[in-house]
Amino acid sequence: MTSDEFSIYMSGVGGQGLVLLSNVIGSACASAGIRALTGEQHGLSQRSGSINIHMRIGEQIRSPLIPVAGADAILALEALEALRYVEHLKPGGVVVMNKRIQHPIIETIGHMKDKTAKYMSVEDVKARLSEVTDKIAVIDALAIAKQAGNALTENIVMLGALSTLEAFPVPEEALKKSISENVPKKAIEVNLKAFDLGKKAAFETLCNIVKCKK
Amino acid sequence: MVRDGPAKAFMLCNEAIVRGAIEADVKVVSAYPGSPTTEILDTFSDVKPNFDYKMEISSNEKVALETCAGAAMVGHRSISSMKSVGMNVASDSFFSLSYTGVKAGMVIVMADDPQAHSSQTEQDGRAFGPNAYVPMLEPSDPAEAKKMVKRAFELSEKYGVPVLMRTTTRVNHQSGIVELEKIDRKPFEKLDWSHAPARFTTVADTARRFKLQLLERTKQLEEEFNSSDLNLVKDTGSEIGIVTSGAGYNYAVDAARILGINPSILKLGTTFPLPRKLIGDFIKKVKTVIIVEELSPYLELHVTAIAKDANPSVKILGKWTGHFSEAFEYNPNIVVDAFAKALGLKAPVDYEAMMAKADELKKGLSDRPPTFCPGCPHRATLWALLQATKGTKHILSTDIGCYSMSFLQPLNYGDSMLSMGACMGVAAGMQYAAKEKVVAMVGDSTFYHAALPGLVNAIHHNDDFTLIILDNEVTAMTGQQPNPGSDYNAGGQPAKKMVLEDVIRGMGITDITIIDPYQAKAVVQPIKEALSRKGPNIIISRRACALYADRNKRRRGEAILSNKVDKEVCKKPYTCIRSFNCPAISIDDDDRKATISKELCDRCDVCAKLCPFGSIKLREGE
Repeated sequence: MTSDEFSIYMSGVGGQGLVLLSNVIGSACASAGIRALTGEQHGLSQRSGSINIHMRIGEQIRSPLIPVAGADAILALEALEALRYVEHLKPGGVVVMNKRIQHPIIETIGHMKDKTAKYMSVEDVKARLSEVTDKIAVIDALAIAKQAGNALTENIVMLGALSTLEAFPVPEEALKKSISENVPKKAIEVNLKAFDLGKKAAFETLCNIVKCKK
Repeated sequence: MVRDGPAKAFMLCNEAIVRGAIEADVKVVSAYPGSPTTEILDTFSDVKPNFDYKMEISSNEKVALETCAGAAMVGHRSISSMKSVGMNVASDSFFSLSYTGVKAGMVIVMADDPQAHSSQTEQDGRAFGPNAYVPMLEPSDPAEAKKMVKRAFELSEKYGVPVLMRTTTRVNHQSGIVELEKIDRKPFEKLDWSHAPARFTTVADTARRFKLQLLERTKQLEEEFNSSDLNLVKDTGSEIGIVTSGAGYNYAVDAARILGINPSILKLGTTFPLPRKLIGDFIKKVKTVIIVEELSPYLELHVTAIAKDANPSVKILGKWTGHFSEAFEYNPNIVVDAFAKALGLKAPVDYEAMMAKADELKKGLSDRPPTFCPGCPHRATLWALLQATKGTKHILSTDIGCYSMSFLQPLNYGDSMLSMGACMGVAAGMQYAAKEKVVAMVGDSTFYHAALPGLVNAIHHNDDFTLIILDNEVTAMTGQQPNPGSDYNAGGQPAKKMVLEDVIRGMGITDITIIDPYQAKAVVQPIKEALSRKGPNIIISRRACALYADRNKRRRGEAILSNKVDKEVCKKPYTCIRSFNCPAISIDDDDRKATISKELCDRCDVCAKLCPFGSIKLREGE
């Protein structure tokens, strides 16, 4: 595997805007002359179910699916969904995950029946992931998205955070241009703000544990 | 999609197929949605205002294929797309069309779904090519798919036969960088019919004549494919050769890279007719052949047969030797492990150990299967149906759509589901054989797609079951496309709206109960009464798909409201959770009272109607 390769396992819950996110990254790659491909999930799985997109950057990669232990990073728009795909993370890889948890309905039903049960928490997820890597950053994307002006921009907040990684090979200008081209016109400004705020959050939570761009 | 080339774009394979067809000046498009092909139809529909092709979102795949056939008989290029089970529906005409042929280019994109991600079966549609003698092409990625669809039109016209382009989920739902070429389209115009009587009819004498012609055509196609650049040969001089196609090629290339080996590769883009000479020449040069293909051992069977003359001593490794499975889709690590086993190598990562460790870390992590969205009318209908049938033994014969999810966790409700429209025929058989009351359930789009003949049959025979039609205005599961119950169709063009109850009354049923599932408790009694009457009778549960309704609200600039739980009033009866299962509702870990997510709730207000204490209220001023 050559050093210009970078694979991101992106996960979340149906309806969180993962497909838009991969389009933003992919289009940015196209305009910057970087080769990128994805393996995506559409259809039935979108109905509030767990979803994942394999985002792969590199000249020679052909498989749209990331092999087990092949992801340089997991980008999780929901915390439980970071743990769900942990086998894909390279040992010591980076996890950038949203603080937000959407409790699966099956867990809630179990909870209803058992008074002593507690939901799995962000801390639980972090503790488990830390057995595989020490590079875990938790971003409060919902709060930041609201601060940017729209709760629906969580995905772009998370992209902003990821973009600070030194190993992430897509230039910021290309990403910003791509955001402007891929979101509705009236939402461009709020999304660019979400991107910048996500970056800022990463400087506080991610860049003290992983090498970031200057 | 509408940008003129040359340029580069990042595209989903399904979009690249559309782009290729537009560059190929396609004039007629018709399809019925079905994952993993739906985005082909969606993209054609989205960009339709920019081009002058004619387009229909058809009532089913058979009609779609026939619409394309008619246009191509007259002389216009046409394209249809369908999932493999849709091809089953269309196949009656597909077989005949191979006999009659077409005048202008016609392409059918057919997608298989290994792993049955969103399908009933893992059907291997590659059987359709050889079975019908229709040429079949298989791309591996978006750039190749775009190139191939253009070539498919040319081949179709050269040989006067529709061309099948077979894909799988991991090809359709792969995005990548695609080269956009110039869009150079001729203005649409109607053409003169050739007036050659019986040109496109096939039976008896004509069928026999066509059969001989299509055998000759297939021979010529094989000749062309033997030297076609649609097939790729990478001769590294290795003793090991990989024969593969489609998605398998992507995994094979990466697996070889991961293992640090450099085998020769034959990537087959033309999988019917198979280029036997090309395959024979390839296997002559190697000692071991590994076949990488998902599902049935189609290539393996033919490579083995070809090897009998071409290279009898070659070792062929695949499914028959236990290196690969006929079940489920592949991925890079499956192929790495198979190569390692075949060649006596060691994989750089112990995948099994990694997965075992991950399973350990995931203990107690709740599953998150797809479920009804917040506000989904199906959730409310099923809740009411379960209340209405409490203590009554009955059988639920269900169908294909979002409501199919009722038999998944956590509801586990539903007894049979076979294929589009099957609920009705199955119910007919059940009401003969079973003691219990039989209930059939179908969505509006599936009703028009393939359930109509089933209802005709039930009415004619006076079959005793109750049919529930879930009318949510759109084909919800595949992304809320319009259907015959919509007043518009592809590209937003106006269309005649069919009214379900009018259709059914016209067929002779007068016992029709129409309910609004959002009224929750209020509809339990009417359902109960309808179920108690002798069938065939109908319940129509009418309420727009929540995703669709919310999107329309956003478009109109209306706010999506949400509910909240008044903790002062809540006494934890969990009525809003029990048998309702809305993903917007969870339990507060601190006080164990229900709580509603503002971001997820769309205020269908059904949970509020269920709460015996009235603790669920409109969220205001937040």
